[in-house]
Amino acid sequence: MDTIIGIGLDALAYGMLLFIISIGLSVMMGLMRVINLAHGAFAMVGGYIASYAIRQLGLPYVVAVPTAVAATVVVALPLEFLLFRRIYGGAEPLKQVLMTIGIAFAVIGIVNAVFGPTIKPIPLPGPLHGIVDIASHTMAVHRLVLIVAGLVIAAGLWLAVEKSNFGVRLRAAVDNPDMAAALGIRTDRLYLVTFGIAVALAAFGGIAGAELMPIEPTYALRYMVTFLVVVSVGGAGSTTGALVASLIIGLVDTAGRYLFPSYGMFFTYAAVILIVELAPNGLARRSA
Amino acid sequence: MTALSAAPTAPILLAPAAPPALAVEGLSKSFGGLTVANEIDLTLARGDRVALIGPNGAGKTTFVNLVSGLLAPSSGRIDLAGEDITGLSDVERARRGLVRSFQVSRLFHGLSVREHIELALLQRTKRTNQFFAAIGRMADIADEAAELVERLGLADIVDTRIDAISYGQQRLTDIAMSLALKPKVLLLDEPAAGVPTRDAGRILDVIDALPADIAVLMIEHDMDLVFRFAARVVVLASGRIIFTGTPAEIAKDEQVRAAYLGVYGREEERHGR
Amino acid sequence: MSAVTARPSPLRGDFIKLAAVALAGLAALVLFPNDLGLMTRIASSAFLVVSLDLVTGYAGIATLGQAALFGLGAYAAANANLAGLGEPILMVAVGGLAGAVAGLIFGAVVLRSRGLAQLVLTIALVQLVHEAANKLSDITGGSDGLSGIDVAPILGAFRFDLYGRTGFVFALVLLLATLAVLSVIVRSPFGLKLRAIGRDPGRVRTLGAAVMPALLVTFTLSGAVAGMGGAIEAISTGVVGLDSVSFERSAMALVMLVLGGSGSLYGAVAGTAVFMGLESIISAANPFHWLIIVGVLLIVVVLFVPRGLTSLAGDVRRLLAIFGLRRDKR
Repeated sequence: MDTIIGIGLDALAYGMLLFIISIGLSVMMGLMRVINLAHGAFAMVGGYIASYAIRQLGLPYVVAVPTAVAATVVVALPLEFLLFRRIYGGAEPLKQVLMTIGIAFAVIGIVNAVFGPTIKPIPLPGPLHGIVDIASHTMAVHRLVLIVAGLVIAAGLWLAVEKSNFGVRLRAAVDNPDMAAALGIRTDRLYLVTFGIAVALAAFGGIAGAELMPIEPTYALRYMVTFLVVVSVGGAGSTTGALVASLIIGLVDTAGRYLFPSYGMFFTYAAVILIVELAPNGLARRSA
Repeated sequence: MTALSAAPTAPILLAPAAPPALAVEGLSKSFGGLTVANEIDLTLARGDRVALIGPNGAGKTTFVNLVSGLLAPSSGRIDLAGEDITGLSDVERARRGLVRSFQVSRLFHGLSVREHIELALLQRTKRTNQFFAAIGRMADIADEAAELVERLGLADIVDTRIDAISYGQQRLTDIAMSLALKPKVLLLDEPAAGVPTRDAGRILDVIDALPADIAVLMIEHDMDLVFRFAARVVVLASGRIIFTGTPAEIAKDEQVRAAYLGVYGREEERHGR
Repeated sequence: MSAVTARPSPLRGDFIKLAAVALAGLAALVLFPNDLGLMTRIASSAFLVVSLDLVTGYAGIATLGQAALFGLGAYAAANANLAGLGEPILMVAVGGLAGAVAGLIFGAVVLRSRGLAQLVLTIALVQLVHEAANKLSDITGGSDGLSGIDVAPILGAFRFDLYGRTGFVFALVLLLATLAVLSVIVRSPFGLKLRAIGRDPGRVRTLGAAVMPALLVTFTLSGAVAGMGGAIEAISTGVVGLDSVSFERSAMALVMLVLGGSGSLYGAVAGTAVFMGLESIISAANPFHWLIIVGVLLIVVVLFVPRGLTSLAGDVRRLLAIFGLRRDKR
């Protein structure tokens, strides 16, 4: 019983982290129809900047995190109109794969040249260090915060997409880009804003999840596969789908590590293949 | 069945025993609540020349997709030369001689005109599973390709990559591929659409000279071409056949004029043809 | 018929390119006698990249999991050797056979979906094989790798020497033979159909040609080529590591293919040789600088040279020939 609760709580925290990072990738894939293998690189850059801000500049955690998120967005935005914009549209997936993997390679190389090859810790402030008891099971506070943050982001995104003016335009553009453009929706600006939000969420996830996914140069490729899997399983562009997929992957992966540690992620990938074979368009799909 | 979706008015030239080249019966297709093909009946005799016209969104391309097997019908039946092909895939239909072209040229980027024609010839003669044969050594392929290339006036560009030739030449290559398959029934989806006038004449000549034994159904907007080509015209509107007749009858019919030709006439002016 | 319609012979061009690969190989043998280990790895990796070219460059299916087929061939050949099979040619045959079977299964799984789902499936498959190889240490050696491979002289006559000369010539000869066979296949009726499928599978179907069986055959053929490469690497290095079934290796193979020019067997070989040659020089100084260069090159190639760097030579020729007045679309 204790193991089950332990697995459940860890799976929840890990799943929420996957959701925070992957949801931006999912929205970009649904809206701009781009397969972005550089998404993990943005999470990694966020982690590096946060680590630097706290350890070298001595900024307090609560200041360093938003600063690092903002800095990552500032660094990434030029890439949107210089590079990403040219490969939107889904007509040539190979082109997208190659360019974004190129961006990921370049970022890995640059980050290593600037920060070095070692793991960069992001020291947590006192309050996040503690341990709380949940259902007679102990849990690190920062994992609890991760779960809460994931829920808040999911709720916020749901409200933004379903209820706001921005969401109306977003959904229109996902369903029919040409029609949206004809109706006067400025798709290029919509894409830029979406890209910015996606990068911000990735950077935040990279920072907040540094305890689970350590910040080091190969981060960008090492976890990229997992993020892609979440989007593919969940269905591109779907918030609910991404959330469900994140939790499934989180659960399968965590349970696998607890129960069959020597198998690594074998069961995760087996589950992914099974799900993708059974539901090739993802568990949920926004547009027809 | 309505009175308007009537039997063919063109005479069937063959003995009564010979089945029609293509017989479509009660063909319907709905997406959710939207009916895009509604109880369509259409028969093409061997050597028939039929034009399918109708305003944009009438369901012309949908009909061709249904007949060629890209879409599965909700109900109805399709016979090719007396054989029920309703349940067959697009591949099987093509193999049995039901061949189509596409409204927008769908050709193979990077391949030459010659390779397009060779591929179709090899497919017809069931040789595309040969791994080690040299196409260049196949005299029959070379002769037939050369004959087609001459007939369609593609000789000068036969070894040019398809993406480096004009749109009109691409359309001709598309027709050449179809002809190389020696079809029983040929479905042409707007073969001259988007082609500059100076190239369109060539395509019209080729269509005029199509082998007499092929039944041809052509979707076309250009009424000059329709009158020049068709023995019979079928008018489609909202997924339903609203008129079948000779070009002369079509031109006289008030209902068709109102429903279609008038609209199209205005459109033509806009496009400045 | 008129002279215009005489078919140009493509085989002469292939022969020249094949001779160029042979000459380059022999030159490497003379010029880099101390780097024959690297040269052999280039040759075995060329099998991987060429096999990827069949699937991606010709059949139009992007995969980031090709190394699974390469690595399975390597493990199969190594295990056959440990079970007593010493003859290297037979080991390569075992590797090719294992790769072919793996390729058929890989294709059957991957071809059921399209787009992102398909790409993710290719990644998931290679990761699955990687995790399985890590777990099944009895037959793979796990993370330590499989070692102790002891190869007999080729045909009982040519002993593998300390400098790797025999190993390199062995790999080179097999590469040339494979390229010769594949050159014929890609120009055959089947190859023509395959190139057409890579551009527009739906249109090929409307010509009456079934697409799925042709793709499965291609995956099988591709697996055989990749598996042979894996076997050759196992034979020449004497070990098989987990990296031979990794996502990273698959991604790098794709990079080499695209830099060299996909849809061209010799572009794939040139891409492999140039990439790995430069990598060994630059990576020795700093592996991460190499990553930056590769990343930037990829971006530049995607934006400006979509047909690969080897196409630049042809472009320059063509531009000179027509004084820059006409260029291919796109």
